[in-house]
Amino acid sequence: MNNLTPQQVNELANYFSAISSKIGDYRIQQFSHLTPQQNEEIKEKQNLILNYADEMYTLSATLILDDVKTSLQAISNVSNQIIGTYKSLKNIQKAIDVATSVVTLGAAITSKNPQAITNSVSNLVAIWSEK
Amino acid sequence: MNYLNYKKGWCFLGIILLLSSCVNLKHVNDFSSSSLNSIRKFEEINYGFHQNCMENCFEMKMGELNFTSTDCNCSLNEKADSINLLIYNTIKGYLIGLSNLSNNDLTSYKINPLSNALMEHNSNLLTLEKSQVDAYTTISTILLKSFTDEFRKKKIKEYVITANEPLKILINYLDFNLSANLIGKLDIQRQRIQSYYFDLLQDKTLSSHEKRNIIGEYYQQIIQLENRKSVLLSYSKILKKINIGHQKLVDAFNTLSKEEIKAQFTQYSSDMEDIISEFNKIKKDK
Repeated sequence: MNNLTPQQVNELANYFSAISSKIGDYRIQQFSHLTPQQNEEIKEKQNLILNYADEMYTLSATLILDDVKTSLQAISNVSNQIIGTYKSLKNIQKAIDVATSVVTLGAAITSKNPQAITNSVSNLVAIWSEK
Repeated sequence: MNYLNYKKGWCFLGIILLLSSCVNLKHVNDFSSSSLNSIRKFEEINYGFHQNCMENCFEMKMGELNFTSTDCNCSLNEKADSINLLIYNTIKGYLIGLSNLSNNDLTSYKINPLSNALMEHNSNLLTLEKSQVDAYTTISTILLKSFTDEFRKKKIKEYVITANEPLKILINYLDFNLSANLIGKLDIQRQRIQSYYFDLLQDKTLSSHEKRNIIGEYYQQIIQLENRKSVLLSYSKILKKINIGHQKLVDAFNTLSKEEIKAQFTQYSSDMEDIISEFNKIKKDK
């Protein structure tokens, strides 16, 4: 089964499902003509085929993992590059904000105002620490 | 000298604008934001392989009048759900990144605080006239935005083209799992329910009233299954649309004119809104 593609397994599941549907319809239409034993036998066979079809749909869904691994990695790589570019562009504003804070700090130092110096240093540290 | 520098700046800006491609960042942002809102509907489906397996298991136990055990072997179905979630999160991450990177606010840099700080703190070392600072602020803001926007556009073009084929594969497989495999399992469930309720109705001791109740219960279950199927089919349309939209983005970077691009993306947004409305209506009717 592992040599089949997800699409092939899905197709098999569709065939099994279609067959079990026909069997189910037959049992319902012919119910009055069937003996209890015949009815039970047909019902059991239908259930088995339904179980196989159900398992095949699930198996098909899990088999896709091998097919998508490369694409998952490719998109993850692109997403990481996008994040890198985004951070670089965000850092430009950070650089402007840091420059502003440095100018303000310089003025505070030359004005010899202790409170202004403290505020400017705190501001600069806060901007620099922002992610 | 100042006037010459100022004039050079505007000429340079003009050249950049002339060489710009027809796709602007707004097209990319509109596409990625719209697609992101749409693909997030995955989180509203509220149904999957594991739930289908558990429901079938409990229905079988009900049929066997078995109340002693709640064990159901649904591990493979859990794996199927986790694969779908992995694919969904990968696509979502890409669209979030694209949306953030193409957002206009990203390169709307605030230079005024720096200019104000320079003006406020004029010293003997550096004497600045307000008109000079204003002029350089204006041109700096525009040039910085132009440079960074051109850089962004170039990068986004590379990312979109690189991501196109793997994105198509991921979207196609997510669609395949939901609209081919999960809907297939819904049909299996329908057949089981039909067989179960048919057998219930064969009990000759049932009154007409009891038979009607059983039939009512049967149709309620069928309606629920059909509704789940409609939700999955509607989501399938969303996925297919995103694939088409992303391909249009790639084509737009390469060949289309401004008018064609605008028309195509306007149509894309409109189509996507219709599909989302359909999805929301089906969910509401559930």
